Amino acid sequence: MVYRLAYQFAGNHYDAEDIAQDVFIKVFRSLDRFRYDAQLTSWLYRIVMNACIDHKRRHAPAGWAPFTEDAELRMANTPEERPGPEEQAYGGQLGEVLEAEVARLPPGQRLVFTMRHHEGLKLTEIADALGLAEGTVKRQLHAAVHRLRAALTRARVTAGGPA
Amino acid sequence: MINCAVDVDLYFYGELDGAARARVEAHLRDCAACRQRLDDLHAIRQALADRPVVDAPPTGDWSGFMRRLESACAAAEPAARPAYSAAGSSAPSVDAAARPSGPRTAARAVAGVAAMLTIAALGVYLAMRARESAPAARPVVRVAAAARPAAAAADPLREATAEHLERSKLVVLGLTALDPRQTRAADWQYERQLAGTLLDDTRLYRQAAQQRGMADVARVMRDLETVLIETSMSDSTDREALARVQRLIAKRDLVMKMQLAATN
Repeated sequence: MVYRLAYQFAGNHYDAEDIAQDVFIKVFRSLDRFRYDAQLTSWLYRIVMNACIDHKRRHAPAGWAPFTEDAELRMANTPEERPGPEEQAYGGQLGEVLEAEVARLPPGQRLVFTMRHHEGLKLTEIADALGLAEGTVKRQLHAAVHRLRAALTRARVTAGGPA
Repeated sequence: MINCAVDVDLYFYGELDGAARARVEAHLRDCAACRQRLDDLHAIRQALADRPVVDAPPTGDWSGFMRRLESACAAAEPAARPAYSAAGSSAPSVDAAARPSGPRTAARAVAGVAAMLTIAALGVYLAMRARESAPAARPVVRVAAAARPAAAAADPLREATAEHLERSKLVVLGLTALDPRQTRAADWQYERQLAGTLLDDTRLYRQAAQQRGMADVARVMRDLETVLIETSMSDSTDREALARVQRLIAKRDLVMKMQLAATN
């Protein structure tokens, strides 16, 4: 679960290994604070999510924050600097195009989308793990879905399918 | 009045309660644009579901990752909390990084790395559970073998028991990770089966340890045996069974004891 999430967030093995390593070190350091009557997976999710954010923060410009209101606004408009689906082979698999778009999502959106779509966590669980208001998580999810939907439409148009 | 786009998303992800859900369903009957939004979400789900799941380093080779993790653990060890005390009590809940580092001993380093690798094995185990692959095919066994503490290598019996404890952690940690309120019998079928297969070996190791005067190993094997019996004999229809096993694990402090026994 740790590696899968790290890879989905990072989009490459190099960073995924970095994040997974951070997670295991954090788990080790905080193992004495884990209550054995608590859900281990929820606890791990929280650590993985924070490790993803920390990893991004380390490689981002000073002052970067994933979930402030300003960052939220920026996220809605500013994609990550990665090759977009337009630069990929549209004739290829739709899944590849969408996966590339997920990788281009701003980190906050990507994290929320991954946790909800791939891991199946409820929005309340994500909000709780990230220490965010549920409304913020909803907006992040909606923004992510909006962009994926747009990518889907573009891909269909390019492929000559139904728009 | 509904916010179409947002509510269709929430509807798709099952985040709406009954009344809101009914409102969206009624709206969907009249709104072609929202039906298209919903269809798009299904298409996105289908397309992403067809992509391969990446939950391991390339070619499934964890050895490089484990080596780097060992190095990172060794480097992090002075700042980390000490390994579990002999009494098995937890360290105070203070931030490890803020705590003055004590003298670094080889034993503590080994214990720290072993604990870390156990956690790594648990991560791999959770990934394996999610994939529902056959027990024999699970690469976690390779990870567990790589995680075997160097200290155990000096004595063949201790080495064998350490390996057995690593395998048994799959069951014990797997059981502690489940929420009894949300777990159906089928969800811990794997643990019940594995507990049954580990039982005979556990008994043999306990007897061998007793004969060799290895009291610490004998004690942890006895506790493990008790948990494995309780797990393997659990009635799948008994809704309290999992909670009972978890209480037993906690009462015997089994996770800590297994950790200690594997690093001694």
